[in-house]
Amino acid sequence: MSIIKTEQLTKVYGKGATAVTALNGLNIEIQPGEFVAVMGPSGCGKSTLLHLVGGLDKPSNGRVLLDGQDIFRLNDDELTQLRRRQIGLVFQFFNLIPVLEAAENVALPLILDGVKQNDARQKAEAWLARIGLSDRLTHRPDQLSGGQQQRVAIARALVAEPSLILADEPTGNLDSRSADDIALLLRQISEEWNRTVLMVTHDPRIAAHANRIIFLKDGTVVDETRLSSNGHQEEMMVRQKLEVAR
Amino acid sequence: MSVRNAILGLLAYRPRHGYELHDAFEAMVGGVENWDLKPAQVYTTLTRLEKKGLVIEDRVQQDGGPEKHIYTVTQAGLAELQKWFSEPVLSDRRRDEFFLKLMLCLAAPDANPRKLIYVQRASLYRELHAITAQRSRVDPKSELAYILLLDQAVMHLEADLRWLDMVESRLDEISRQPIPEPAERPRGRPPKSDES
Ligand SMILES: Nc1ncnc2c1ncn2[C@@H]1O[C@H](COP(=O)(O)OP(=O)(O)OP(=O)(O)O)[C@@H](O)[C@H]1O
Ligand SMILES: [Mg+2]
Repeated sequence: MSIIKTEQLTKVYGKGATAVTALNGLNIEIQPGEFVAVMGPSGCGKSTLLHLVGGLDKPSNGRVLLDGQDIFRLNDDELTQLRRRQIGLVFQFFNLIPVLEAAENVALPLILDGVKQNDARQKAEAWLARIGLSDRLTHRPDQLSGGQQQRVAIARALVAEPSLILADEPTGNLDSRSADDIALLLRQISEEWNRTVLMVTHDPRIAAHANRIIFLKDGTVVDETRLSSNGHQEEMMVRQKLEVAR
Repeated sequence: MSVRNAILGLLAYRPRHGYELHDAFEAMVGGVENWDLKPAQVYTTLTRLEKKGLVIEDRVQQDGGPEKHIYTVTQAGLAELQKWFSEPVLSDRRRDEFFLKLMLCLAAPDANPRKLIYVQRASLYRELHAITAQRSRVDPKSELAYILLLDQAVMHLEADLRWLDMVESRLDEISRQPIPEPAERPRGRPPKSDES
């Protein structure tokens, strides 16, 4: 089953003469473990798409299905739970809490979700180690480079073990070298750790790390390019076929 | 021209036989997938270089085996190499097959220039993806030359992609302009201006 499916997804901001149609009947489908880039001119609806898929905002029309579940039919508590446990968010400006140390920033989502301090800390440190920052646990954001701050933000997005990572211009505020590192990390997240990654970017060399690129214009999909097959996904398809054959 | 001069350069580094030259060239450019130099081209080039006195051939008897032809660069060959180093390499960027396609597609009946752009863009992205993957496997500590070569390819692809975006955003505008035609020229012989 697709991990993300949108059906005729539409978002209109404002009303009457000043209304802006940000998404206009958009249909996409993404399989588990895929690394997908979304590209398109400024204002074409990329961030809006991510907000709706992440349940941060409601559509004017159409549906978002995550694992087959229409997320806007959930009640508020259920939606909050889904956001905390199934979705990790990464932004252009990192959005770390300035007064907290790296490990505290990473542990925060778990603590908000009621996990015990010690367990949360342990998981946070494990993720920071996995992304190569075990020597920066007690640094505050202002003591880290941009690339390191974004890695911390990615560890924070991963700490609750979500199946889906949504990243809006994750390299938009980085030099090209740190940007490449972050792109490689996102690829690792999908390839090795089997998470689905949906990333918005303007940068062709960042998008080129993905398995697939979806091109938007005026709130709809105008083109799609597969760059490489996704090993995990192929394996799943073979398995599904075997099961059907049985 | 570049193969000829590369052979002179490789021989200036040290004398070699034909197949060693071929393999050294291939290693330098990062593999056959980057530049497929046929062994036959190496041999014909060596023959021409020898005729011009830029290299000399030595036949060396091997114990038991067939004799080897070892090539060495001459003083004239070294001078030729220096001349090559002193000249810039001119780009060929204004001679572009995609541009031709686009112009003719804009003029052709039933053609879809936007589709043309998408097909080209998909192909460039696939190439960029492959190179990006290749680059992430190369060790910068021992294979820096190869990384620089791949980076150059990445940067050109990025530029091509940005240019395609620009073309796409101005497609309606360019579609309204007729494709360039030659300036009207008078038929027959040009009139003589000064009759003497
Ligand atoms: N909260 C809002 N209120 C009103 N209009 C909005 C709001 N958010 C976005 N829009 C409008 O919706 C359209 C799509 O915006 P969106 O942020 O999704 O674009 P984008 O593709 O992410 O652009 P960029 O590449 O510049 O980030 C734009 O015209 C934008 O002005
Ligand atoms: Mg945006």
